[in-house]
Order: sequence, then C-alpha cells, then structure tokens
Amino acid sequence: MAPHAPRILVVDDEPAIRRFLNSALTADGYSVTQAEDGRTALAAIQRDKPDLLIIDLGLPDLDGQDLIREVRGASDVPIIILSVRDDEAGKVSALDNGADDYVVKPFGVDELLARVRAALRHRIQQQGHDPIIRCGHLEIDLARRLVRCRGDSLKLSKKEFDLLRTLAEHAGKVVTHQQLLVRVWGEAHRHDNEYLRVYVRQLRAKIEADPHQPAYLLTEPGVGYRLKFDD
Amino acid sequence: MVALACGLGLVVDAWIHPPNISMVFLAAVLYSAIRHGLRPSLFASLLSTLLYNVLFLEPRYSLTIDDPSNVVALVFLLIVAILTSDLTGRLKREAAAAKVHAEANAALYEFSGKIAGIGRLDDLVWAAAHQLATMLEAQVVILLPAADKLRIACGYPPEDRLSAADHESATQAWIEGRATGIDTAFADGVRWLFVPMKSDRGPVGAIGLSRSRGDDAGPVFSPADRRLIDALADQTAVAIERIELAREMETARLAAETERLRVALLGAISHDFRTPLASIIGSASSLRSLWDRFDAETRTALLDTIREESERLNRFVGNVLEMTKLEAGRLTVNLGPTDLADVISTTMAEMARGMVQHKVELAAPPDLPLANLDPLLCRQIFVNLLDNAAKFAPAESKICVRLRADGDKIVVDIVDEGPGIPAEHLGGIFDRFFRVGSGDRRRAGTGLGLAICRGFVEAMGGTIAARNRVDRPGAVFTVTFPAASVRTPRMME
Repeated sequence: MAPHAPRILVVDDEPAIRRFLNSALTADGYSVTQAEDGRTALAAIQRDKPDLLIIDLGLPDLDGQDLIREVRGASDVPIIILSVRDDEAGKVSALDNGADDYVVKPFGVDELLARVRAALRHRIQQQGHDPIIRCGHLEIDLARRLVRCRGDSLKLSKKEFDLLRTLAEHAGKVVTHQQLLVRVWGEAHRHDNEYLRVYVRQLRAKIEADPHQPAYLLTEPGVGYRLKFDD
Repeated sequence: MVALACGLGLVVDAWIHPPNISMVFLAAVLYSAIRHGLRPSLFASLLSTLLYNVLFLEPRYSLTIDDPSNVVALVFLLIVAILTSDLTGRLKREAAAAKVHAEANAALYEFSGKIAGIGRLDDLVWAAAHQLATMLEAQVVILLPAADKLRIACGYPPEDRLSAADHESATQAWIEGRATGIDTAFADGVRWLFVPMKSDRGPVGAIGLSRSRGDDAGPVFSPADRRLIDALADQTAVAIERIELAREMETARLAAETERLRVALLGAISHDFRTPLASIIGSASSLRSLWDRFDAETRTALLDTIREESERLNRFVGNVLEMTKLEAGRLTVNLGPTDLADVISTTMAEMARGMVQHKVELAAPPDLPLANLDPLLCRQIFVNLLDNAAKFAPAESKICVRLRADGDKIVVDIVDEGPGIPAEHLGGIFDRFFRVGSGDRRRAGTGLGLAICRGFVEAMGGTIAARNRVDRPGAVFTVTFPAASVRTPRMME
C-alpha cells in the first residue's frame, strides 16, 4: 500500500457530480480534491501531485483529450475518463492519448470504485513486479508462462497466452483492440480486428465456464476487452 | 370604280394616247384589290379590259379591234390586272394572318405575365381558368391529379362536377397526352374539349373547354382557337410545374429542418439528460454502497442532490415536450387577466430549493395592472428564465425580477450578476438549441429553455429580449406582455 491515503483529483464541470464523487471517494478512504475546468485541474496537478485523476471528457474550457495529452506529457499518473455512451471514438482516442480507463455516465459508484482500485493497483504492480496474477479461479504465472483455472493447468497456444497476459497485466482495466493487436501480433497487424475475435473466442472456450456468458474476459463494445479482476 | 376610271379615261382621252389610258384602268383594279379582295378585283380586271376595248380602242364602241398591236395591249392589260389582283390579295391575307398571330402572341404574353407571379397553386389554376375563359369565350375546367385520379381543381364559371363520360375523356387526355372530346375523334357523349397539360417531367393535368356550337357545321373551336388553347395549356403546365417544384423544395427544406431538429433533440437527450441522471445514479449508488461510512450530513447532501437533479431532469423533459408542442403548433393558450407578480412569486417559491445559492428578489409596484396571460405558460417562461440566470450567475449573487407598467404593456426585467452574454451571441440566444459554448463543452441544459420562452411569450402576444447590463457585468432579460384590457373592479362600480 501507498504510505498515505491515495490522492484523487476529480475534474468535472458539474457540481452535482463532483459532490457525490467527493463524498463516495472520501468515504472509501481517498483524499479528494476537485477542479471544475481544465486550467484549474492543471494547476491542482502541479500543486497536489495526485495519485489518480478522474477527468470528464466534456469540460467547459479545455478539450478533455488535450488535458489528457498535457498530463501524459509530464507524468504517468493513472487517468480514468468519465465519458458518455455512443462516444466510442472519444473513449478510444482518450485511451490512445494515455488514459488508463473509462467509466460511462451514468455509472454506479461501485463500478467507479472498482476502476479506481484497478488503476491504482496497476501502478503498484508496475512498481512491485508481482509475477503471479490471480483473478477469481484464474491464476496466471507470468514468469513461468503457466495458467491454472480452478486448479487445473491449461494448455494455451503462444498467442493465446500473450493475449491473456496482456489483459492480465492490465487486470481490471480496459485494453483497446489496437493495444492488444500491437502487443500480441505486432505493429503490422494494428487493424486486424478479426485476429482478436478468433483468439478471444478460443481463449474464452478454455478459461470461461460458459463461453457465451463470459465472467472473466469481458467485451467493451467498440473499444476493446477487459479481464475482470475481483479484489 | 371601273366606271370612275372609265369616266376619267374619257376626260383624258383628248390629251393622251389610248394605250396609256389602260394605266388608269390598272389603277382601278389595284384599288379594288386592296379594298375588296381577290374576287372583286378579278371582276374589275375583266370589266376594265372589256370597257377599255369598247371605249378606247379603234374602232370605238365595238368589241372588234383593228390594230393587232392593240390586241397585244389588251391581253397584257388583262394579265397585269389579274396578277396585280392576286398579289395584292395575297398581301392582304398575310397581313390579316400576321395580325391574328400578333394578337395571339399578345394574348399568350399577357397570360404568361398574369400567371408568372402566382405562388399558390389554387390562385394559379383560378387565374388560368379565368384567362382561358375570357380569351376563348368558353367555359373552362382545370383538372389536376390527386392520388392518381384527376380532380377538378378549378372551373370558370365555377364548375365542380363532370359527367362520367366527360371525366373519362379528361383522364384519357391526361394519360395519353392528346386532345379528346368535342372536335376530336374521341367525342362520344362528351360535352367538352379536353387538352392535356404536359411538361418535361410528364403529364401535369388536363384543361376542359366548352362552348355552344355555332350555326355552321364547323368545329366548335377553330384551328386558330386550338393553337391558342395548346399554347395556353403548355404555359399553364409550366406554371403548375414551377409551383410544384417550389413546393417540393419547401417540403425538402422542412424535412431537412425536421431532421436537424431531431438530431439536435437526440443530442440534447444523450448529453444533457445523462448529466442529471449521472448525478442521481451516482448519488443513489453511493448511498447504497457506502451508507455506513457516510455521516448524516453527507447522506442528506446526497439525498438533496438526488432530488435537485431529478427536478432538473424533470424540467428538461418538460422543455422537450413543450418544444415539441410548439413545433407541432399544438400549443393551447388560455389568455386571461392575470396578476403577473403573483405568478412570478409563486414560481420563485417553487424554485427556491434549487436556487438556494442565489438571492432572488422580486420588485413590483402595488398598483400593477393585470396582464393578459396564460398563467401556466407564464410560469414555464419564468422557470426557464430564472433557471438560466441561476446557471450562469455565480453563487451568492443577486437575481432581481422587476415588474413595471409601461403604457399598455407590463414589463418584466430579470437582472443577474453573472458574466453577461457575449455580444456576438445576443442575436441567437433565443434560437433553438443555441448554447453559449459548443460541442461537449457547454453548460448543461437542452438549449431549449430560451427558445421555449420566446415561443410562449410570442404565443401570448408579448416580446422578449436580452441585453447586457451597463452598470456592471450581468445579463438583463426583458419580457413584455400586453396589459389586460378588462375593466378593473373599481371601474365596474
């Protein structure tokens, strides 16, 4: 754990949204600061050095995308985007610009808190290099390239393992189609979404109890995939 | 005329040679050709030749001719006289034809001039029927298709039904694109002549003409009439097509406008309805999940958020519904003498909870006349105006509502201490879906509130305008309503 209560900066122009985010995050043990627009947010980042940013894509002064780029230029602080449905392109470009995850408005607070935990944990993980990721019944040993499901070891092809590993490294967070394709198949296959469709189906057949109702490997429509992580 | 020439010839006989006297007869023939046409001039030619022979050629007073050269002269006189008659007659006929042609052209020109400026189909067919009836001295009906069947669009003198045979004949003219009815091969039991109206795009309709048959057995409408009718039918067809094209363009424009409204409405719903929903769902789920970890004050604050945002959402929904009503022209306005100050103070009380961050003041003279208003529409106007002021003016600032009478009008000023309205936006602020800022970066709101205000105010015969304060930053919205022209209780005593 971090030595202090993680600091979260909430950037949203809607006071009602800030109000409940502040209440919920504070109650969940975080230290919360608020900003109502991009400029205030940039100043607050400089001043408070938050451990995580929650940014609404629709801000009155700055484009949320610009804010993400600007933040990413200077730091790798985790960023969670608040977005609306129907804006898959906006989500994808936010993720490409360096955001770590997104939550679609309207959202329940549990969903947001889970995303916050995943984003903060990933950061801790990156620092600690935990070689084994446990995810419900799933156990992934990154160093030994082993996967166990409910205690049984699974036989995965190389690409299947690479795909699962990429998702597991970002467990609980969304990984875009392009990020997966580039990591597993290489830059040349950046747009070969059908590879993903096939391999995700194969992987689900091996790790899911019911491949048609996946409990671990979840689809984020129009954006990518997410390996569910219960903590 | 020949007698006159004859007399003149006898007079000049003393001075000139007989062959030259034939010129005098020739002049007579020419004159009668010009004046009376071919037949009289031919007759004059023969008569002149005869008289010239009898009276002036030796031996005089007999049909015999001594000098063979005089025979030649006589024959030439006859030939020249006949040729002249014919030429002159032809010239005269052509002049007459040209005159008819010019008249027809003038009539067509006048007709096209009369129907060119007409923008409504009803007016056009009426004008065309009237013109045709006047020019051809006939009864006229104009038939246009409606739902694949010809219907009488207009009749002059007014006529609204045709016999089945007539109607069938008209339909045939329309579909087959040729004249039917009287004077044509398709005349069985038909009282009318029907000519088709055609344009480049296809059949437009049919024109029916009828007049009583003259004494002679000739056609009811002469070939000249028919040419005129065809030309007029063409012009009417073009004019009708012009109007229909204009109407199609208008329909397309309206469809595009409706589409634009639909897209904007969807945008408003997807962005602006989700904002309060996000606050409501977020607050409710926070209470559900973290109830034990919240203190009492936080719980109350979250519950207040849920209620305020629900009310905001309710106003949005109301605005969209009102806008839809305004758009569809289904707004019902119940005007009546109303105490505007009462309406506004009630509205302010209703909104007080959502406006705790602002100080709202109402100032009205005690003797303010009643206004002629629909109180429900009026309430909606001030909900939107106060909501708008509260949205832009900072917390703790003052929003003043001032009422006054100005002549036969009641004036309401809503004055805030916000940033004011950017000058370039003052003109468009009452337009639908207008919002200061664009894209996703705008204040929450459907962009309908002020448009609805204008719609409602205008529906009640009032005006609404926005300007910026001069004394300090801030916006002023001014609404005027007509004062009620009813007798006040005191005047009724």
